[in-house]
Amino acid sequence: MNKKDFMYKLSLYLGGIPVEDREDVISDFEEHFKEGLAEGRTEEEIADSLGDPKSLANQFKASILVNEAEKTTSAVNITRAVFATLGLGFFNLVFILGPFIAIAVLPIALFASAISIIAAGITVFFAAIFGPLITQYFAVSINPAVAIFGSIGVTCFGILFFVGDIYLAKLLYRLFVRYIKFNLRIITGKE
Amino acid sequence: MNIQFKKGVLELCALALLAKKNRYGYELVNEISKNISISEGTIYPLLRRLKNDGYVTTYLEESKEGAPRKYYQLTEAGKKVGKELKEEWLTFVKKVNSFLKGGVKDE
Repeated sequence: MNKKDFMYKLSLYLGGIPVEDREDVISDFEEHFKEGLAEGRTEEEIADSLGDPKSLANQFKASILVNEAEKTTSAVNITRAVFATLGLGFFNLVFILGPFIAIAVLPIALFASAISIIAAGITVFFAAIFGPLITQYFAVSINPAVAIFGSIGVTCFGILFFVGDIYLAKLLYRLFVRYIKFNLRIITGKE
Repeated sequence: MNIQFKKGVLELCALALLAKKNRYGYELVNEISKNISISEGTIYPLLRRLKNDGYVTTYLEESKEGAPRKYYQLTEAGKKVGKELKEEWLTFVKKVNSFLKGGVKDE
């Protein structure tokens, strides 16, 4: 493989990372080739000792996308980071994707519970107010005052639950990013 | 040498080399691959990670040959982490060595 092939493959597999990061990586290898050639090595020798451009590109991609996920908290960023680490080998399917799914499911389930509680509270509230007007269809068997204040309480609890879950989700996100970074330190590089 | 060994120490080697003086990428790769056989390219993602984590900064400097070189310099955080890793490594190696030599007595 000569320099041109190496660079072509490298930039091909670097797709999906911010342009300036990609240019930065490319220029590092341009410099490496320049230094090597100045020492009298051939392009082929340099490319061979650098290793597989696809594997290198995957390593860059993983650390750049994990860094993006760390800087900006978003579901899209973390998903991209997780998929980038999967490119580093089978190992990560178990050690990154598995925990990722588990960690993602927990806050989602809690959000669903919070929303259900809020919905239940609101439903009871309106049922308590409008129920007496449509008694032929509907009968509220408890005291309307209890139902109204109870439902306000339930709704507030649901909202608190929801807010708590936002904090929990953010905490899990930060912990998970740290976990991926820890993994990258160990796993990076196939040979 | 065992591949798992190498991966773990690459970061330590890079930090140790940078602790002595600022170096450019090719120089670092050369110094490391002289002693440890690895895919040389692997050093670059590692340097990238060190930079992202704030352990090194980079600057460009003209070389005698003309083309500018990207130099890597340890930050205070990098120096600290380098020292810690070095201590950990030395303690670890000492213990493993004493096992290998059979010098550890049953208690």
